[in-house]
Amino acid sequence: MSLTFVLIKILEYMFVAGWAGSVIVLLITGVEDVGTLLDKKDDTSH
Amino acid sequence: MSTTSNAPTGNNRVRVVVATSVMLTFISYWRAAAVILNDLGSSAFYAGGIAEQAIGKSAPWFILAVMLFAFAVRAVYVESCSMFVRGGVYRVVKEALGGTLAKLSVSALMFDYILTGPVSGVSAGQYIAGLINDTLTIADAHGWIPSAVHHLFHGTPQVGVNGTAVVFAVAVTMYFWWENIKGIEESSEKALWVMQITTVMVVMLLGWSFFTLFKVGGHLPPFPTLANIHYSSESLGFWKHSKLPHMFGILGLIIGFGHSVLAMSGEESLAQVYRELAHPKLKNLKRTAIVIGVYSFVFTGLVSLLAVMLIPDDVRMKVYSDNLIAGLAMNMVGPQILRLAFRAFVVVVGFLILSGAVNTAIVGSNGVLNRVSEDGVLADWFRRPHKRFGTTYRIINLIVGLQLFTIIVSWGNIYTLGEAYAFGVVWSFVFKTISMLVLRYRYKGVRAWKVPPNLHIFGVEIPIGLASVGMVLLSTAIVNLFTKSVATVSGLIFSVIFFAIFSFSERVNRRKHADHAAQMKEQFQLQQADTVERETVGIRPGNVLVPVRDYNTLNHLKWVLERTDTKEQDVVVMTARISQFGTAAYGLSTEQIFSDYEQTVFTRAVSVAESFGKKISLLLVPARDPWSAVAQTAHNLESSGVVAGLSSKISAAEQAFVLGSAWEAIPEPKQQFILQIVEPNGTVDTFRIGPHTPTMKNEDVVLLHRLWLNVTREPGLENVHHHDILTQALTRFARDYGANDHETIVKELRRHGGEIDPNPVRRIADQVDTVQPAQPRTDRDDGTPNPST
Repeated sequence: MSLTFVLIKILEYMFVAGWAGSVIVLLITGVEDVGTLLDKKDDTSH
Repeated sequence: MSTTSNAPTGNNRVRVVVATSVMLTFISYWRAAAVILNDLGSSAFYAGGIAEQAIGKSAPWFILAVMLFAFAVRAVYVESCSMFVRGGVYRVVKEALGGTLAKLSVSALMFDYILTGPVSGVSAGQYIAGLINDTLTIADAHGWIPSAVHHLFHGTPQVGVNGTAVVFAVAVTMYFWWENIKGIEESSEKALWVMQITTVMVVMLLGWSFFTLFKVGGHLPPFPTLANIHYSSESLGFWKHSKLPHMFGILGLIIGFGHSVLAMSGEESLAQVYRELAHPKLKNLKRTAIVIGVYSFVFTGLVSLLAVMLIPDDVRMKVYSDNLIAGLAMNMVGPQILRLAFRAFVVVVGFLILSGAVNTAIVGSNGVLNRVSEDGVLADWFRRPHKRFGTTYRIINLIVGLQLFTIIVSWGNIYTLGEAYAFGVVWSFVFKTISMLVLRYRYKGVRAWKVPPNLHIFGVEIPIGLASVGMVLLSTAIVNLFTKSVATVSGLIFSVIFFAIFSFSERVNRRKHADHAAQMKEQFQLQQADTVERETVGIRPGNVLVPVRDYNTLNHLKWVLERTDTKEQDVVVMTARISQFGTAAYGLSTEQIFSDYEQTVFTRAVSVAESFGKKISLLLVPARDPWSAVAQTAHNLESSGVVAGLSSKISAAEQAFVLGSAWEAIPEPKQQFILQIVEPNGTVDTFRIGPHTPTMKNEDVVLLHRLWLNVTREPGLENVHHHDILTQALTRFARDYGANDHETIVKELRRHGGEIDPNPVRRIADQVDTVQPAQPRTDRDDGTPNPST
């Protein structure tokens, strides 16, 4: 039980830390994305 | 450079120029987004229902979290594409972790791809069956069902939902099987059209839902706490009798997240469309990622949330678990008939997008298997082209066989299918992200963009963003192994079988390719070139290009050789190796392109040329679309004529139209050429590709002449020519067309166009004449075979 407990705790920490980092990724890329959308140079969509 | 020919080179071998870059047609980011959303957006139709069945009413929060997290996963794909033009799972894992893990990851990806078809087909069937049953119930309530029918069914007639879904899914899969065997044209146009209709539905759905919320009110789903997560008997898998899921709060979140992760399936398509994105590629990839991210967040995420808010608890899972959007449509405010009509619209859209996903699954699986088979990990036997259609029919048969097996075994149980589906989705992401982490340290090539943030400590880069995404994916995938028993067992069996097939094939191929290479070296001297250039092939301008595909139908090559003096005019025999959706695009190795099949085609072509005692040049071009390849090659080689055989699928005029369209896509400057289609009975249809002097009707010539006579009677205009009249007329036409008279002119042309020339082909490739067989030939001044002889 104790080993299972440790393993599950590791998974939980991975998940929480991963989400914390992913939120930072979302914030930084979100700002970049706004810039990409506003940059109409080379926008050849049709 | 010496002229290539079937005459032996110094070492008795025939030279074949092998282009190593695929000729692609490029698309805008809107079209690319539409192609991806056809796969990614389809999960909105079933993901919410499956997640709620597994973890209860708080499922929409998990779906929203998955859709948000999908933005971060997309960032991983943007980084991989900035490193490799073809930055899919196989390429990236192979580069980072080697062939064995690449084979394992591609097996998981295949599980994802193959299950996409059954999940989508069955889901579409569920929506249709649900609509039929509800319509019958409403009709019965109004007394519109005849009593005899009522008695026959012992009540309201109803169709079996799962049985109907299975029949529908089998029918759609079989339809797309045949389309793929024939060689379906992958069209971004069609994808864009489907997404436009879907957008109309989404806007109506959201607008009506918010209006309903405003009118009748609603409650947000319970927040995802351990107390609010209600596991179903199937959702805990191997932990069914364990206390663990009820002991750890965050573990509950991971389980919930794992049951919702299938909502982001389809991300891999991002890597597959990248190579076809127009310039500037990376910026357009980012734009594509934003479009699909926002769209799928709004569609899949909000629809799941609104479904829980608007559909009453007592019917949501009982009646609408497998067709949640239909349930949403039926629970809006408004007259019943209007709601039923909107539900029918939802079903039509669902049919379009989910059927499209069935096709995407076949095309995608075929592409991935072709890609790995090009690396020698699938026996050549699988890649042998269909005799008539030239498609890799054995791979398609294998994929569709597995899909049909899955549909029948699951018997329309969308929950089981969806649960299994998540296995492939999450594990292919895990392999990909871990590989990207490894490549941060191992890959020394160009990398135009990195997932942020990245810390630098003592000169060592710590990829915090990439590692974070990897940790979420890995923890979810590990927990899924325990909670999704069906997915774990079926996914592992499937992956192990595929891995065994890949490993065995690779071993067989390695031995066979060694013999093949030795044999090939005896016969052909392969010369690699990045792109097709006339100088590389070693031919003169004004040559004749002869595209060949099937070695049994080389009549058109014989026709050309009968009529061409190869001392005066070069003949280039070209074959386009179709590079499937999802295969490599640049820097291909010769072994990837020049297979047994191409060797047989060229051997036959050389023997035909030898029977005429004439020289030919051989060219092998990897291409996405054969007609674009022909048009681009003719352009690059400065060919004056292209002579092709009649297609088994389309008419000569249609072939000319397709080639003409491909020619139009080539940037200026470009030269025109003649296209001749040689039919099996020897009849030859001739078309001019590109702008050319039109075939004028006699009355037009007479009118022109009369105008000229009148004009030259005017003082000072005695020296005007016929062409001056035409120039003046065309200039005025162009001015009027671009100004006030535009509509009138279009109307007039439409009226006359229908009477004069009903065949749209002529607008691009004007048919000038038809040549009968066995007639003597005289060369034209420009050296092309004269069509009028």
